[in-house]
Amino acid sequence: MPIEIFLGTGGVGKTSVAAATALKAALAGSKCLVLTIDPARRLQTALGIDSNGLEQRVPLDLLEGKGELWAALLDVRASLDRAVLRYAKPQEAKTILEHPVYQILITSLAGMQELLAIERIHQALEDGFTSIVIDTAPSRHALEFLDKPEFFTHLVSTPLVKLVGRTYKLWMASPLTLISKMSFELYSRVEEILGTALVHQILEFFSIFRKIAEGYSDRAQQTLALLRDPHTTSFTIVTTPFKAKRDGEYFLHELKRRKFYVNSLVVNRLWPAYPGTLPPGFPSPLQELVGWYQNVCDAHQRAWQEVSRQFSGDIPKLIPLPELSRDVDGLPALYNIVEEMER
Amino acid sequence: MNALPSKAFPLTIFCGKGGVGKTSMALAFALWHADQGRAVLVVTSHPLRELAVSVSLAGLQEAHPQAAANLFISHLDPFEILANKVKQVIPSERIVKKVLDSPIYKSLIEVAPGLKEIAFLGRLHQLSEERSVGETTGNFDLLVWDAPATGHFLQTMKVSQSFEMYLSGPFALLGKEVAEFFADFSNFAVIPVTTLEEMAVDETLELCGKLAAELTMRPSGLVSNMVSPLLVASDFDFDDLRRQAAEGEASKDLQFILDRHAIERSLFQRLRSSLDTEFYAIQRKPSWSSDLGLLWDLSRQLGGMIRN
Repeated sequence: MPIEIFLGTGGVGKTSVAAATALKAALAGSKCLVLTIDPARRLQTALGIDSNGLEQRVPLDLLEGKGELWAALLDVRASLDRAVLRYAKPQEAKTILEHPVYQILITSLAGMQELLAIERIHQALEDGFTSIVIDTAPSRHALEFLDKPEFFTHLVSTPLVKLVGRTYKLWMASPLTLISKMSFELYSRVEEILGTALVHQILEFFSIFRKIAEGYSDRAQQTLALLRDPHTTSFTIVTTPFKAKRDGEYFLHELKRRKFYVNSLVVNRLWPAYPGTLPPGFPSPLQELVGWYQNVCDAHQRAWQEVSRQFSGDIPKLIPLPELSRDVDGLPALYNIVEEMER
Repeated sequence: MNALPSKAFPLTIFCGKGGVGKTSMALAFALWHADQGRAVLVVTSHPLRELAVSVSLAGLQEAHPQAAANLFISHLDPFEILANKVKQVIPSERIVKKVLDSPIYKSLIEVAPGLKEIAFLGRLHQLSEERSVGETTGNFDLLVWDAPATGHFLQTMKVSQSFEMYLSGPFALLGKEVAEFFADFSNFAVIPVTTLEEMAVDETLELCGKLAAELTMRPSGLVSNMVSPLLVASDFDFDDLRRQAAEGEASKDLQFILDRHAIERSLFQRLRSSLDTEFYAIQRKPSWSSDLGLLWDLSRQLGGMIRN
């Protein structure tokens, strides 16, 4: 599948599973990019690379891979700068890049990550990647990268917003001649509530940024169409045994509602069973630890069985993955996951 | 452990990495106090609130009527708060509706940096003013915030200290009030929650570092969630235990259990040596009959330890 998207709540091991999937694709010969939207630096650890470079090639020499593996963090500033430089006239680009609202947009606005993920997927396809693996942000923003672009697209195509963007400078000089009295009153009200300085800055910025925004929304629509095509894109829900029922139901429902196709459910971090009992003579704290451990294991197994029963009709692939004794910290550890996934 | 303050219970904030159990801890803490007869309001901005809250509390009314009667949960939606602000500023209902429906308002609200955060904190501050103080009875006694995951939490807290963008309009005042409230550390208690896993511990230390460096805030305590019973068991020599197991017929499987536990111990040690605060270890239950059962058990473990 050219595009694979991994969703899940925090702490379930999304990044490791996504990175393992990417490794598998690269070993099979794809030019694969694994992109993480999650700002945490988990991906570098999982792949055993250290710098903060934008896009990095992961050496596969040890594993004799046929393809290429590239890793990237979603860098809001870099992705947006690239779009601005590419789609705006040089003078406009300079004004945009130096505008205070632009600085705020990229540094502090929650939601920019999600808005730009779609743009980044477009860029990756443009760059010739044949396989793209997306590791999304945890629960809070998990679905926002699908929702925000749609919202933004609607917004950009709203006539009044277009008008404000296009005529802002003229409007400030002679407002009532260009905009109806009603719209102007409405605008004044909003300005009164949010503060003049803030509104002016945003409008000024938007008037220049409009063209970029319109271009963005065209590309976003194309990319979203690709994500809705089950031949191009598959969604995988990653979860842990005790969260599996809730997470599975929630994400399956939300993705179906948005017309996206769920291909797999990964139940990660199942504790491997400890067979049998300790021989007598072991110290009692150890006996207790093992007993407690076995209880947790059994509960995990029961949860997995229930979940595989519940979702077997709705999700084609249900994949159990074991808990590892260490965090995934490099290709050899990642390769273990690839092997587990193929079982 | 402090005695009950004469002023009021501070706003208690549970924060931390995604998936470590912030919501469970916030609810467990609230349940314990509610069961003691205090009226508790838990504020959450969790978008999966149906999942996070209603599932966990199913059956509370029947099982623990006293706690149920005192526990209140409120989901604060920044858009709703902002809409209420608009209603306060504009007297005419007709115009309010026009403003709220206008694309200009909608787009500006969405784009204005920090606006949703300041609206949220403003409401939180307002709610904390409604608490009981000393002899004066308020709408409730205790306010608990089930905060968003680290990144968004820090972003939100930073907004409390930087409202320069809002130099005019009603939000300038709101920003000022919020900044004053969060500048007084007796008003709130930040309690990070973590699990004893490398990623979570890294993020917790980073969170505490940023709280100190960027906001001069210190955690009032730290909750380690889902620890194994051996971690809290009375003192014994774990290394010795490991050696004995290795000498015996310890299989690879047993080694796995012991390795994991050794990691847990060293991470707990790392937290203790890096942070100067109270530590609370909450045991992982091997299994439970219902979400409520688990939550109730957590509340017994946690409530008895943290006393504001």
